[in-house]
Amino acid sequence: MPKSFVLRANERGHDVIYSDGSASSYVAGHPGSYIARDSSFNFHQYQSGRPGFGTVRVFGDEVFNGAGCGYNMHPHHNFIICAFVLEGELTHINTAGRGTVDQLRQGDYYVFSAGSGGKHCELSISPENMNAIYLWLMPGQLYLPPSYHRAHFDIRTRRNRIAQLVGDADGALPVSQDLRVSRLVTDRAGRFTYTPRTPEHGVYVFVAEGGATVNDVALARRDSLGISGVEALAIEAPDSSDIFFVETAMLDDARIRAWEKAHGADLLD
Amino acid sequence: MNAPLKRWLCLGCGFSYDESLGLPEHGLAPGTRWADVPDDWVCPDCGTPKSQFEMVEMGYAEGGADLARIA
Repeated sequence: MPKSFVLRANERGHDVIYSDGSASSYVAGHPGSYIARDSSFNFHQYQSGRPGFGTVRVFGDEVFNGAGCGYNMHPHHNFIICAFVLEGELTHINTAGRGTVDQLRQGDYYVFSAGSGGKHCELSISPENMNAIYLWLMPGQLYLPPSYHRAHFDIRTRRNRIAQLVGDADGALPVSQDLRVSRLVTDRAGRFTYTPRTPEHGVYVFVAEGGATVNDVALARRDSLGISGVEALAIEAPDSSDIFFVETAMLDDARIRAWEKAHGADLLD
Repeated sequence: MNAPLKRWLCLGCGFSYDESLGLPEHGLAPGTRWADVPDDWVCPDCGTPKSQFEMVEMGYAEGGADLARIA
């Protein structure tokens, strides 16, 4: 049976974190820098929304404002963290393996599996603000060896089709989880079909730019839809749209189940 | 009470707490149940409160339990 929810852009958790005061060890770039974060699911200060979706715990739409803004070096374990740069430049320093200093620009993305432990620092060092989509995933196992992979999504050659960025397809970045991330960028209106590997898999659709109609639900810029129990998603996209698809196994999670019961939104039941 | 020992994951950074291992360096003996961890305890890596940990049913990767013991 199909089950779904719609999350409008302005219904997300909105936090602005300044680089001074109590957050100064966390946010880089004092004076004058701040991070604006819109969270689709509960994260840090925002705890009144949906706890997650399948294996996804964080879906953040973040803007680093001001040259030098970002997150200072901080530790992680276990979570698989992905970032997809939409605008600006992201300098990513992380300790996986022998360590990497990476610079990601529009279309670049990474998958950082923190596993048994690793630290990273993320900075916008150019004058332009940096906007990225952040995804945190539950891993398949605890304490996997840390790993870092990165790639580029070429908007010029891969438009007007759904391209898999993370998962098991040719050229997609590998991930130790039952999960796929795909992206559709259009420069002309069209109809598309997204087919999850089984109807039991959930798909979280996020409209980064433009709009889309997904199974007859109209989504505007930065709106999103979570759906499970369907064979396929029918997408109508106008020209100039940019849409992310996160397909995940639907874990039977006690926190998500409790939140859904309290809010009459029973995606799992 | 012989409920299976459980594992918990910090939703702020991914740090894991394993009841069977405890965190001896932080004063929690092996076998300390999550319910017996003080309510004002926070993640030793990132300061996230105890209420923002999630119980997980996940195995360790090869060698992972030994690394978790000294995390």
